[in-house]
Amino acid sequence: MIEVKNVVKRFDGFTALDGASLSVPTGSVYGLVGPNGAGKSTIIRHLTGIYRQDEGSVAIGGEDVWENAGLKARVAAIPDDWYYFLQSTVRDMMRFYKGFYPRFSMERYEKLKEVFSIDEKRVIRRLSKGMQKQVAFWLALSCMPDYLILDEPVDGLDPVMRRQVWSLVMGDVAERGTTVLVSSHNLRELEDVCDHVGIMDRGKVLLERSLAQLQDNMVKMQVVFRDGQEVPADLPVLHVSRVGRIHTLIMRMNAQEAAARLAVYDPMLVDAVPLTLEEIFIYELGGADYAVKDIVL
Amino acid sequence: MISLNYRDSRPIYEQIKDGLRKLIVTGALGPDEKLPSVRALAAQLAINPNTIQRAYNELEGEGYIYSVPGKGSFAAGNTDADAQRRAELLARLRELAAELHYLGVSRQELETLIKEAYES
Repeated sequence: MIEVKNVVKRFDGFTALDGASLSVPTGSVYGLVGPNGAGKSTIIRHLTGIYRQDEGSVAIGGEDVWENAGLKARVAAIPDDWYYFLQSTVRDMMRFYKGFYPRFSMERYEKLKEVFSIDEKRVIRRLSKGMQKQVAFWLALSCMPDYLILDEPVDGLDPVMRRQVWSLVMGDVAERGTTVLVSSHNLRELEDVCDHVGIMDRGKVLLERSLAQLQDNMVKMQVVFRDGQEVPADLPVLHVSRVGRIHTLIMRMNAQEAAARLAVYDPMLVDAVPLTLEEIFIYELGGADYAVKDIVL
Repeated sequence: MISLNYRDSRPIYEQIKDGLRKLIVTGALGPDEKLPSVRALAAQLAINPNTIQRAYNELEGEGYIYSVPGKGSFAAGNTDADAQRRAELLARLRELAAELHYLGVSRQELETLIKEAYES
């Protein structure tokens, strides 16, 4: 279990985290999403022990993260700006990791060598960016971590490698019950791999739910009212759009409840359409004044 | 064995459910045949194992599969398929029939179609 409670972090008077809280249940895959500058990477740097919070607590498995080497031996992370030593090859880096992670598995390392097909004698810094990322996964998964913390992990990977990497991570989650926290902007992909989602904005976690709850808590209804009626004013809708006679309503309730609320008006057609995570993200943040602005250049 | 369509608006677990159900209904997965393990399917489809578990649990609730602790999940004989699903499909057929009627498809054509399904 990863628990971040009311964490505040200021940099020279700028408040990057403003009372952020999140909790990741053991064995789940938690997707952290939010607009640029929301504080996702800052939270992640607290979880990996790079930053120390000004206020609040950051704990993994009930233990404080800061300066806790024993705990960090069970946590593997792939940051967005990874670092490899000058002139070090994959094999050199493997030895370095092996020194820090007592559970480092050579068996896994060898198995993953087949998957990534990168020559382990090559200098990592001379590899392409995408290949460097593959090396990061290779090493992180070889550490047999209980906790895997990934900051925009599949950026720069080709489509086959993305799938490959997710397949490896999902297999690890299913087999070993690894707890994964992943930040990403690729909501389409998160929808597949996550079971919990937290939405961040301006240094706070706005909401966090299981994906099933999130999808059950908001619904898109397509409705045609009789005689070209408008949307009744007393209906609690988040967003309305209209094409011809069809109104598309976004409502914060589940599909049955929405259908019951609409049935009162005896509409000609009611159809519930599931929302994608991307739509939920847009409408949740729409309430927080964050939306695509209509600007023509 | 199951393919996910990313342009489909149905949630992933429903696509998995529908995919497995189709395999069972068509007999591609015979009675008492073992389903892939949650772990294997998670790795193969690169999907969260909990999502797959949810699909399995719901299919079990509907009577399409049964699970044996420590052994895995197996396809049930399709004799006791859920009544709710039956009602749902009949409602859909009614809707389709109404639309086909509107489009000028004759009663005979529809009847032939149904006959074909029953005789195959």
